[in-house]
Amino acid sequence: MVNPHTLARPSIERSSLPPNETQIKMLYYMKLTRELEDRIERKLYKQGKIVGGVYVGRGQEAIAVGSCIDLRDDDAVCPSHRDMGAFLIRGMSLRTILAQYMGRKTGATGGKDANMHMGSLEHDLIAFVSMLGDNVPVAAGIGLSFKMRGQDRVVVCFFGEGATSRGDWHEGVNMAAVLKCPVVYVCNNNQYAYSTPLERQMAVENVADRAEAYGIPGEIVDGNDVFAVWYAVRRAIERARAGAGPALIECKTFRMTGHSAHDDAGYVPTELFEYWKERDPIRRLERELIERNVITAAGIDEIQNGVKAEIDEAIRLAESDPYPDPEDCLRGVYFEG
Amino acid sequence: MALTTYLEAIRQGMWEEMEQDDRVFVLGEDVGIYGGAFKVTAGMLEKFGELRVIDTPISESAIVGAAIGAALMGMRPIAEMQFADFISCAFDQITNFAAKCRYRWGAGVPIVIRAPSGGGVHGGPFHSQNPEMYFVHTPGLKVVCPATAYDAKGLIKASIRDPDPVIYFEHKFLYRRIKEELPEGDFTTPIGKAAIRRKGSDISVITYGAMVYTALDAAKELEKEGIDLEVLDLRSLLPFDREAVLDSVKRTNKVILLHEDTRIGGFAGELAAVISEEAFEYLDGPIRRITAPDTPVPYSPPLEGFFLPKTSDVIRVARELYAY
Amino acid sequence: MADTKVIMPQMGESIFEGTLTKWLKKQGDRVERDEPLFEISTDKVDSEIPAPASGTLREILVQEGQTVQINTIVAVIGDEAAKPAEKPAAPAAAEPKREAPKPAAKAPPPPEARPPLQEREGAGEEAEAERIRSSPLVRRIAKEHGVDLAALAGKGTGTDGRITKSDILSYIEQGGVRAPERPAAPAAAPPPVTFAGDVERRPMSAMRKSIAEHMVMSRRTSAHVTTFFEVDCSRIYQAREKHKPEFERSGVRLTITPFFVQAAVRALQKFPIVNSSVDGDTIVYKKAINIGIAVHLEWGLIVPVIKNADEKSLLGLARAMNDLGERARNKKLSPDDVKDGTFTITNPGQYGSLTGAPIINQPQVAIMGMGGIKKRAVVIDDAIAIRPMIILSLSFDHRVIDGAVADQFMAEVQRQLENWED
Repeated sequence: MVNPHTLARPSIERSSLPPNETQIKMLYYMKLTRELEDRIERKLYKQGKIVGGVYVGRGQEAIAVGSCIDLRDDDAVCPSHRDMGAFLIRGMSLRTILAQYMGRKTGATGGKDANMHMGSLEHDLIAFVSMLGDNVPVAAGIGLSFKMRGQDRVVVCFFGEGATSRGDWHEGVNMAAVLKCPVVYVCNNNQYAYSTPLERQMAVENVADRAEAYGIPGEIVDGNDVFAVWYAVRRAIERARAGAGPALIECKTFRMTGHSAHDDAGYVPTELFEYWKERDPIRRLERELIERNVITAAGIDEIQNGVKAEIDEAIRLAESDPYPDPEDCLRGVYFEG
Repeated sequence: MALTTYLEAIRQGMWEEMEQDDRVFVLGEDVGIYGGAFKVTAGMLEKFGELRVIDTPISESAIVGAAIGAALMGMRPIAEMQFADFISCAFDQITNFAAKCRYRWGAGVPIVIRAPSGGGVHGGPFHSQNPEMYFVHTPGLKVVCPATAYDAKGLIKASIRDPDPVIYFEHKFLYRRIKEELPEGDFTTPIGKAAIRRKGSDISVITYGAMVYTALDAAKELEKEGIDLEVLDLRSLLPFDREAVLDSVKRTNKVILLHEDTRIGGFAGELAAVISEEAFEYLDGPIRRITAPDTPVPYSPPLEGFFLPKTSDVIRVARELYAY
Repeated sequence: MADTKVIMPQMGESIFEGTLTKWLKKQGDRVERDEPLFEISTDKVDSEIPAPASGTLREILVQEGQTVQINTIVAVIGDEAAKPAEKPAAPAAAEPKREAPKPAAKAPPPPEARPPLQEREGAGEEAEAERIRSSPLVRRIAKEHGVDLAALAGKGTGTDGRITKSDILSYIEQGGVRAPERPAAPAAAPPPVTFAGDVERRPMSAMRKSIAEHMVMSRRTSAHVTTFFEVDCSRIYQAREKHKPEFERSGVRLTITPFFVQAAVRALQKFPIVNSSVDGDTIVYKKAINIGIAVHLEWGLIVPVIKNADEKSLLGLARAMNDLGERARNKKLSPDDVKDGTFTITNPGQYGSLTGAPIINQPQVAIMGMGGIKKRAVVIDDAIAIRPMIILSLSFDHRVIDGAVADQFMAEVQRQLENWED
């Protein structure tokens, strides 16, 4: 049984492409994301070097990469747990990310929080909380602050389709719409929230259908086409920068993994995995880039080897980083001057 | 100099901060055009404009969430909950997002959430609550409860300037009943410090909010029969002034813990434990609590009259404790 | 290169054990890092586990089919060729980082040790204090001032007779024990006296009656024991000679007795139990040291008291004794002069007695008797010397003073006298 929602019905087509340089950068980041998450989920976690939860965005790499690749340094990003590409593009180091996963002192939170719960004010990267959807009003507030200061910065906020069931999501989108905040809301609709398929999550067909209810534009794109994502989000960003308020971009994709590393997704019909495997965003991009002579096969291998080497080195460093002092538990609750 | 009400003192404090720091702004329901349900923000929209006094939809969660986002970007938002009772709608944003950012990723969230709390106004269950303890129980937050006009101004300023999230419970019963002459110039009340409202030698009454006046009224009565109450106004619940509490108990050796909040899980329980742990050998009698009963706040006047702790309760318990 | 331990990983937050279903390599095989090494099965998922390091699979510790807790070492990857296992496989070798839900058997912290009792006799004291209703504050104040709460028993002004802070504070302010009213013990009437012959019956004087009653009552009340000490008075004789002229210049006649008073005072400071009283089953320690000196007069026995003798110098003591003695002889003593003594000294040697076993002056618990001072031949360093010797006796109440304590007390008196220094 093929999920009727698997058929992506993009409401816009990409009508232009980024420069070649950017295209190659996109490939690099997507491959970096894929390789990093493979190592985290399929190796480090199973070797007992990472404990607790592991959540990867396998098969969804195009969404974070396409959305973030052209952001300005002073724009802000509110990622969720399947947006590793956002962290990498914004400048968080591999070592910091790996140390974070391994609970080391040198990790993004010094061991205070786990896996993707990372943030960095320096990079305008906002750490999300497990109450998914909470970042939606927060993004509205971030956008509001830009408006108040007369800045043309924007904030891109990511969430899955499951998060759009939460009250905070609706309050936040409404608030952003009413106050015309420069926010681009990007929905990673990978069609499963843990074991809950789309049709048990909502009665509307598309998340983007909700945009109308809040008076903002909604777009549907093929989430596995990095250029489609890039195009749609860029347009929304420019709109927001110009003061026209928020938009909702729904990226249709599929979660090619369990909800987390310990979930084998046995509840997903195998046909769906097979269908979406054909539509892998990285394979697609590689094929297209080769077709358009933007890169050669050797060039792709070079990127792959480079990515592996970077990650090897980062793992080596992070693995030998110290754990935090047990008494660090007590520190950092309040401002300590 | 003119007398300033508790309510006006809050407005003054916010106004002065907004004048000298353009990062400070207000958002909430009916705060702009209407000047706030209680008129605390009256005049501010005209003075500071609609980018700094923002009327929002009915979305407590988004009000707090947006405040968090703006604060992360360096602003100093004051989010108003129309009634403290509605703060529960924003519980998750407050306790899981705002309270934990600094601990988790070193990002301060300098927001102030103003919440008109307390009963005695015929408000019923949803317009009379004292929900402070949900937040006192959340590390990463600060909780303050001014009782005087001076502290209403001093604490709102201190809260706005504080780099961490502060929940500011303003007692609606006191809004227009308390009038004081306030000093000129900039002053703040330090968060985490209590104030002795009446020095005494027989029994310490430790309290906060509107109950401070209940305690003082009782003290005046008891004076006539030679019972000398000390009244300690906590002013802050998180952090609270442990030293002042212990010092008072060590001097009088008998203590009454008084609050308008309900009994189980109320702040008196925490204080009783601290006093017992740290001043056991100074106690000349059992620690007594005077609180509201464990019920929602009822509406009809005889019911609410029963619910709220009264001066006569304080007098009765003080006499019992004195004689012990 | 160090060995790498291969562990059973935790695949999921609530998982605490896993079954090793299949080894994909044999012991001794070369393995590469990240290469599939073994397979596991848990409640949530079956999984293939990659090798955490490159090297030789030196030792397999957990066999196929075994179920072990997470973080158990299942194998060791080493750098060299396989060596015979040095330790037998211990499946439960590793301490799991997160315990399976067992209640942590953590002993509750020991109850805070009670602050140590000061050196006082009477082990049952604390228990006594607690049975009397007071409060933590009151008990602390009582302890700090060495007050036995039993002294206030029944006198508390708090609810249900609780001893309050103001009760204990005013008690302390008034400084000391008021002798508790003792209901007169009903005396068993002695048999009437019969005598074959003439008799003259004279009624007793009031004082005589009182002395008679007191003596009998004292014997009935205390468990009288007497100990005897022989003391060399040469040092104090020398001191007396030295001080006599200067004291006389101050108008004070210096006898030998003040030295004994001073020595007794110092010993009482060291052994406060000898300065106490017994009230039911409570020992009442008195802060003040008031020495009564028994004076024999024609019309009877009287015991004027030197109040706060510990605050007086030798001169002060001598002066007080002069004064009291004179007033006693002239019948000019006030009731206050004969009240509140805490220890008595009597002088059986006055009329030549070698020593005596005096009766305790109630409500005190000891009385010291001074025998006659006589020059005697004594042995010192195996030679015979002539020294003025006295036999001191101490009658003591064995209810609260044990023999050893009485002797230690007297040894101290002796030490003070025989090593007299100004």
